[in-house]
Amino acid sequence: MGKTTGFKEFKRVVEPYRPAKERVLDFKEIYTEHDENGLSTQASRCMDCGVPFCQSNEGCPVYNLIPEWNDLVYQNRWEEAFERLIETNNFPEITGRVCPAVCEGACVLGITETPVAIKNLEAAISDKGLENGWFKAAPPTNRTGKKIAIVGSGPAGLSAAQELNFAGHTVTVYERDDRLGGLMMYGIPNMKLEKSILDFRVEIMEQEGISFFTRTDIGSDNKNSIGIEELSESNDVILLATGATQPRDLPIPNREAEGIHFAMDFLRANTKSLLDSNHKDQNYINAKDKDVIVIGGGDTGTDCIGTALRHGCKSLTNFEILPQPPVERAEDNPWPIFPKTYTVDYGHEESNELFGSDPRVFSISGKKFLKDDRGNLTGIVTVEVDNNFKEISETEKEWKADLIFLAMGFLGPEDYVVKNLQVDLDERSNYKAEHNIHVTSNPKVFAAGDCRRGQSLVVWAINEGRAAAREINNFLS
Amino acid sequence: MKRKKLLRIPLKTGLYDPAYEKDSCGVGMVANIKGIPSRQIMEDAYLVNSRMDHRGGCGFEENTGDGAGILVALPHNFCKKIAKEIGIKLPEKGSYAVGNIFLPQDEKERDFCKKEIQNIVTLEGQIFLGWRPVPVDPKKADVGPAAKLSQPVIEQLFVKSAAGIDQDEFERNLYLIRKQFSHRLRTDKNLTQASLLFACSLSSKVIVYKGMLTPTQLFPFFPDLEQKSFETHLAMVHSRFSTNTFPSWDRAQPNRYMCHNGEINTLKGNVNLISARQGVAKSELFGEKLKDLFPIAEPDSSDSGNFDNILEFLMLTGRSLQESIMMMIPEAWQSNTIMNQKKRAFYEYSSSLMEPWDGPASIVFTDGNYIGAVLDRNGLRPSRYYVTKDDKVIMASEVGVLPVDPENVLMKGRLQPGKMFLIDFEEGRMVPDEEIKEKIYKANPYQKWIKEQIVPLEEIVDNKESNPRIADDLISRMQAFGYTVETMQFMLLPIVRELRDPLGSMGNDAALACLSDKPRLIFDYFKQLFAQVTNPAIDSIREEVIMSLECLIGPEGNLLSCLPENAHRLRVKNPIISDAELESLQKIDSHGWKTKTIDITYQKGDGDKKDMLSALDRICQESEQAIEQGFSFVVLSDKKLGPKRIAISSLLACSSVHHHLIRKEKRTRIGIIVETGEAREVHHHCLLIGYGADAINPYLAFESLWQARQDGLLDQISFDEMVQAYKKGVAKGILKVMAKMGISTLQSYKGAQIFEAVGLADEIIEKCFPGTASRVQGVNFDILVNEMERRHELGFPKTNLNNVKVLPNPGDFHWRQGGDSHMWDPETISDLQEAARKNNEDSYWKFANYANKQTTKESTLRGLLKFKYSKTPVELSEVESEKEIVKRFATGAMSLGSISTEAHESLAIAMNKIGGKSNTGEGGEDPIRYKALEGGISKRSAIKQVASGRFGVTMWYLTNSDELQIKIAQGAKPGEGGELPGRKVDDYIAKIRYSTPGVGLISPPPHHDIYSIEDIAQLIHDLKNANREARISVKLVSEIGVGTIAAGVVKAKTDHLVICGHDGGTGASPLTSIKHAGLPWELGIAETHQTLVMNNLRSRVVLQTDGQIKTGRDIAIATLLGAEEYGFATAPLITLGCIMMRKCHLNTCPVGIATQDKELRKKFEGDPEHVINYLFMVAKELRMIMAKLGFRTVNEMVGRVDCLEVDQAIDHWKREGLDFSSILHPAEIIFDNTEVFHTQDQDHGLEKALDHELIKQSKNAIEKAEKVHIDLPVKNINRVVGTMLSNEVSKVWEDKGLPEDTINIKLNGSAGQSLASWLAKGITITLEGDANDYVGKGLSGGKLIVYPPKKSSFKPEENILIGNVALYGATGGEAYFRGVAAERFCVRNSGAKVVIEGIGDHGCEYMTGGRAVILGPVGRNFGAGMSGGMAYVYDPEDNLEQLCNLDTFELEKLEVKEDIDELKLLIENHSTYTDSAVAKKILKDWKRELNLFKKVMPTDYKRVLQEELRKEKKVG
Repeated sequence: MGKTTGFKEFKRVVEPYRPAKERVLDFKEIYTEHDENGLSTQASRCMDCGVPFCQSNEGCPVYNLIPEWNDLVYQNRWEEAFERLIETNNFPEITGRVCPAVCEGACVLGITETPVAIKNLEAAISDKGLENGWFKAAPPTNRTGKKIAIVGSGPAGLSAAQELNFAGHTVTVYERDDRLGGLMMYGIPNMKLEKSILDFRVEIMEQEGISFFTRTDIGSDNKNSIGIEELSESNDVILLATGATQPRDLPIPNREAEGIHFAMDFLRANTKSLLDSNHKDQNYINAKDKDVIVIGGGDTGTDCIGTALRHGCKSLTNFEILPQPPVERAEDNPWPIFPKTYTVDYGHEESNELFGSDPRVFSISGKKFLKDDRGNLTGIVTVEVDNNFKEISETEKEWKADLIFLAMGFLGPEDYVVKNLQVDLDERSNYKAEHNIHVTSNPKVFAAGDCRRGQSLVVWAINEGRAAAREINNFLS
Repeated sequence: MKRKKLLRIPLKTGLYDPAYEKDSCGVGMVANIKGIPSRQIMEDAYLVNSRMDHRGGCGFEENTGDGAGILVALPHNFCKKIAKEIGIKLPEKGSYAVGNIFLPQDEKERDFCKKEIQNIVTLEGQIFLGWRPVPVDPKKADVGPAAKLSQPVIEQLFVKSAAGIDQDEFERNLYLIRKQFSHRLRTDKNLTQASLLFACSLSSKVIVYKGMLTPTQLFPFFPDLEQKSFETHLAMVHSRFSTNTFPSWDRAQPNRYMCHNGEINTLKGNVNLISARQGVAKSELFGEKLKDLFPIAEPDSSDSGNFDNILEFLMLTGRSLQESIMMMIPEAWQSNTIMNQKKRAFYEYSSSLMEPWDGPASIVFTDGNYIGAVLDRNGLRPSRYYVTKDDKVIMASEVGVLPVDPENVLMKGRLQPGKMFLIDFEEGRMVPDEEIKEKIYKANPYQKWIKEQIVPLEEIVDNKESNPRIADDLISRMQAFGYTVETMQFMLLPIVRELRDPLGSMGNDAALACLSDKPRLIFDYFKQLFAQVTNPAIDSIREEVIMSLECLIGPEGNLLSCLPENAHRLRVKNPIISDAELESLQKIDSHGWKTKTIDITYQKGDGDKKDMLSALDRICQESEQAIEQGFSFVVLSDKKLGPKRIAISSLLACSSVHHHLIRKEKRTRIGIIVETGEAREVHHHCLLIGYGADAINPYLAFESLWQARQDGLLDQISFDEMVQAYKKGVAKGILKVMAKMGISTLQSYKGAQIFEAVGLADEIIEKCFPGTASRVQGVNFDILVNEMERRHELGFPKTNLNNVKVLPNPGDFHWRQGGDSHMWDPETISDLQEAARKNNEDSYWKFANYANKQTTKESTLRGLLKFKYSKTPVELSEVESEKEIVKRFATGAMSLGSISTEAHESLAIAMNKIGGKSNTGEGGEDPIRYKALEGGISKRSAIKQVASGRFGVTMWYLTNSDELQIKIAQGAKPGEGGELPGRKVDDYIAKIRYSTPGVGLISPPPHHDIYSIEDIAQLIHDLKNANREARISVKLVSEIGVGTIAAGVVKAKTDHLVICGHDGGTGASPLTSIKHAGLPWELGIAETHQTLVMNNLRSRVVLQTDGQIKTGRDIAIATLLGAEEYGFATAPLITLGCIMMRKCHLNTCPVGIATQDKELRKKFEGDPEHVINYLFMVAKELRMIMAKLGFRTVNEMVGRVDCLEVDQAIDHWKREGLDFSSILHPAEIIFDNTEVFHTQDQDHGLEKALDHELIKQSKNAIEKAEKVHIDLPVKNINRVVGTMLSNEVSKVWEDKGLPEDTINIKLNGSAGQSLASWLAKGITITLEGDANDYVGKGLSGGKLIVYPPKKSSFKPEENILIGNVALYGATGGEAYFRGVAAERFCVRNSGAKVVIEGIGDHGCEYMTGGRAVILGPVGRNFGAGMSGGMAYVYDPEDNLEQLCNLDTFELEKLEVKEDIDELKLLIENHSTYTDSAVAKKILKDWKRELNLFKKVMPTDYKRVLQEELRKEKKVG
């Protein structure tokens, strides 16, 4: 274990991001260099709990062996920490950057103190792995001859691909977009996850013997498409890992006004243009000098804020229908459940730095968009709502806006993929399959990730990918 | 209900097994030193035995005793007379024999037996004279119905010696005759009453009369004994206290040559090896006839019976009685540096032939020519004697059993540990121990023999420096042998770093191995057994002087010869051997020794068990062949493990070989050495040794540790240093495990199989571990092989998927996601906290359903049971209310110290509010808490625990209790004392415990006043006297045989009994104990209920159980199995915020519960209401189950196992073979009017107490503090004098007591046990005479003065005055003794000031306060573990230092004025009070004499005193 009394001696210190004013000028990662000694001290705060809640169902979804690697970092045994880390987590270099760290919410030290800085430690261990070449391809020693097609290259698809390949099966991954990684590629902006990391990961997986096809939209009418029946015939198993990509809309008057975009459209175009041409092709929705409103207070909303700020928007406002969360855990939100408390994310901080105030407005709901006679968006009328989302009368307010991004979550997978495949959907329009079983109504079709469980976190997708792989392996052997 | 006819102990039924019956007793003897027979000796003997009535036992029938008997010299005149009556003319004395024979009641069977016996007499060439029915008078003796029912017909057999043989040869013939007819008839399948046949004795020298009687019934029952002409020069008497009430005439003692107060702990190993030695035994005296004596050890005999068998065998094959005894019960010679070297050599030589019969013992033995007695090496039984001026010697477990005129007393003595007491009738004198032994050790040049013959292991090791090596596939092999992250983190690294078995906390809540989904090592299926009640655990830390790991290994010689070659064996000091040592042994080709290495791996196949089984057979065959091929050692090696070779578990291989060779009677011809990658923990090594290994080389542990050291996890020590550290740590752990069972030498522990299996099927037990209990059956070879192969797969996997380069962490100690199931996991903890904090029933149901249906199911036996709901359920409203049910709840014994004040008080408040009971634990209680607060809130714990450390056990503490709980054992670490690490002992805790701040406290494993069943009866009696209103409770831990122990404890008059499961436990404890000691409560409570009902004792006691009880379902099952009260510990702590950190031992509990850290305690957020909310919801759940089962009250539900069945719906690869039939066996009713739950109170016999008189005469003192003087005679049957009076004083005057000397009591005579226990302030007891054990126990401020009768002429300072364990746990007061005390004087004294003139071994052990002035010699191991207070020892011979255990203190000169003044004052007091000549002599020349004193100053105490001084200065 770490240091017996570490948690008493040391306070939680989280690695800072680059200064907001500086980082907002580029799309490079917001993180600073790791401080090894500082991290070792932070790791020593881990109490090596008899029942580590960081591993519980309220904690890390891939059940990272957090107490183990905390101890190893405390002892400066980074490479072993790395070995421990990759035992449970296929892509720690990614989760260390993008995970909201549910583990920290469940950390036992959080009951009476601030939790251990687990996320920083994970990121640092994997970054050390990147620096020192510890990430190595591990091709299987023998092949089973079984073939598996995976539809979608997001975290669920990729983690399943890697596990199944380890087991000796022949795996092919199909991605409809031009780059691999799904939401990790185009959903998460570069400042949170440098895309070369993803490319490196794919490179390793290719060395391990996994085949990837991009721009291959299974089941669609596109020209590169492969029919699902064909895929089914040529493989022993199909794994659906298509994600939940149908965005939730805001069907209020004037929705058709020019300047209202789904968040993903905004983010995807931005990253693609960045990667293709460093934004020189202008092929993206530019928020420069615009009054921007982001609707939706989740991570995607924040990413829209961060991106718009980097474009140089004129003003920025963020609507959230929920009330402002409390600073401390509420009665109905006890430990070890993930804390719903008021936090300041990178986008909020940056906005505050630039404009002098937090961009968030809580308990608010859009009533109608406003547009000029050319059909361009000019603003939105809102109304305040109570805790049950009931409108409060005489609270209507008009906001000026040139661009509005809808970041209100996703509904489910796009169902064209499985047409003709007898795959049932559940009541939320996801592929119907049980967690940790993953087989759909079609015995050779499995589903994992957001397309099965609904919109969720990258770590949950990895959890699903691994679990589906285990089940598929059992099914095949 | 109809009762069953019962002839003998019932057979094994349900969980009851007669094999676990225990007994203990009073022994005594009276003899005329000159060998002159007289009637008086008979009369005296009768009185001696009768006056020890309180040491014997009786069951529910007052007139059915557990057994009493007498052994006397064959009374020639009497025999002549009776022989004449049946028409026989006896030849001269010595050439005929008479024996009392128990015969079947059935006439036909009896006649058959008698004829057979006559035949055998004739066949052996002796002359059959006749039979005489022994007159018996059960009516006059008022023998109880149960005894009468099973009474055999008793007849005397008369045999005449053949012409021309001497008496010795005649005795040998009688031995042959008796052995043959006993063996033949007792095993005769045609006889329905074969078990009744028994020869009490058959000898030309002595005769035994005995039966299932009370001591007072003995003479009236046998009119022979009352005949005037019945004269003897010696008489040995015995009264038995058995744990059972079942009839057993033959188990009464004396045996044929000895009687025994004690218990042989190592019996199984001793008997196994004796039978193995039959194969090589050769006797010149018996020649070919020797085989007719086999089996040497009579089957289904008691431990004492077997001891007698072997003693007889050794004696009649040519050794003297004295030498035989010395071989069987040697002194603790191994670590005795001051022992005579020749004597030491004799003992070492004997150890090459036989292992000690280890256990507490006071043995009296005789062959007619000599009578003698001996105590075990540690002096665990009392034995006192008087020698009178008219040549009489009287010896007994107590003094005062026979009135002797003080003027007639020549000397008063006691048996000392390992010392022999002997009367030689021919020479007519008492022979001193040294003389007896000198004669024996000088008989042969033993020193020369052992020097020439014994080869120390060190001598054959050529390359002392080991080569550390780490092979590339280390991780793979570690994985294949089941190593985990935890193995390294919690076990191996701490062993090397801390040189001890590592600590953990919060008990064990993980799945039993037989329920675990993980492939578990076979070691995990075994649970260590431990001593409780009938037998003390040993303090292996403070009494290390009597412990030893040294063994001689390799081929043994002929037990019956006395030749130098017998000692030609290898001496191994530590059973764990290094790589270099093993290598040398493997290569050896000298000393006539060769070693064969046998591969214990097998080729990986298709996973069928036959591959493994045939390999196992091959290993056994090869081992046997090795003997024939002349090899002296076999090494069972799993080194060949690899991708294609799977290792058979080393334990399976070792035990199979060991037992195979025992069966073939060849075991003693070879040494078994195990070279294994598997064994690494203390538990593993203990198991291997317990099943026959002579030495173990855990090579993979060394290799892994060396790798860890390369990784920087250990200091930069050399490989050899690391190996030494590991060996040392493991050795300490093994000693502790042995000590738990009361075994002090590894030689005796070896092969003793002190384990119970949980979850192994008979096919495994029979083949590999015969004689081991496995009560629920379980996994078979198929599963075992599957587990081995799965483990192998981890190291050498088929695909990359499983190819992990790091060790797995299956979460055995700490919970891990996907690891082994734990009952406390994130779900249970968080849901329970939510339920309790918010009184939220939904959360409770979430918690309870999950716990009941998942975690409990995956982890415990009860998880596999289900209820058989009634077809006629009752309405919930008709069921006993929750308010009533919660009164049956108690919280666990968690001491203040182990948990914080905040947590401790919250529990007390909660339990007081609901009418349940909280428990102080063993750490005492702050008296402030005795006063109720406003609003009826009380922080007083209703249960006051009395544990072995006796922390803060004062009269005031005892007075403030509703229940007094004697903690014999606790679930997390049965057989050990509580451990409170030094960092948790702050000033406040130290004050309450009367100890020294900063000094860790490890309570002694035994209560030093409970070494036997009769001792616990005494302590129960003591406590009942201390507080008549409180019920007395005894806390035991589940293990096989706990039911019979419980029966004994109920016969010892406990009001309440707790049977704990192995799995509970909160504070710190060695991990080995947490994980591997004790059994589930399901087995314990069911066995106890079944046994108590069978004995008709159940109705006299309240039965409670605890151990990971958390839901209403748990308590419903507990009730159906027999419990009526329930303890909760972990769950209430969780409601108060505990999150199972398992850091209690580190004082870093982050939620302020198990810590004394002031900062962390601030974080405590618990509230008594949380506990209450939870307990009410538990009660509600129980009520709902009761309603469905159709019960309205808990009482009617007790023991209704018919409402339970095995849940067939659970299918699991491991669980199929589990068999619950013995647990679900309904308790059998044998006796009329048996009731099955608590319905009646015990009769404590308090009305006999002398204290009623004292209280009457002290009325004015108690009420008005007026001075009173009382003068009374006292006898040994007046026990606990002064305690009830102290209780009365305390009730009025609280802890302040009365002014000094307010109540003055003068007693004359021999006081019974526990004189002046917890004597309160203001009472002075002066005794003229002597006293027994436990004088001044717990002295609480009173004053005690004892001196010998003024009329006696012996020198008081040379004679024994008081018994064992005086002033144990005294907290204050003064005591002056003019004379010598026996063993363990002032153990755990924490406040009394005492003066005495000489003491026995282990004096001032573990003392933490007060003053001890010793004006005479001290025994060995003085001051062991002393951490507070001071002792001043008069040491004119200047030899104190070599008698001291200097671990914790230093000897200083007396220089400080305060010390000198204090010493002088105490000696002056002593002189004034006792008229001591020694004191007067010292005071007379004070200046000079002062220089002869040494001050014993504990290092820690000194530190604290200095700190205080510094603080004072600062303030000043």
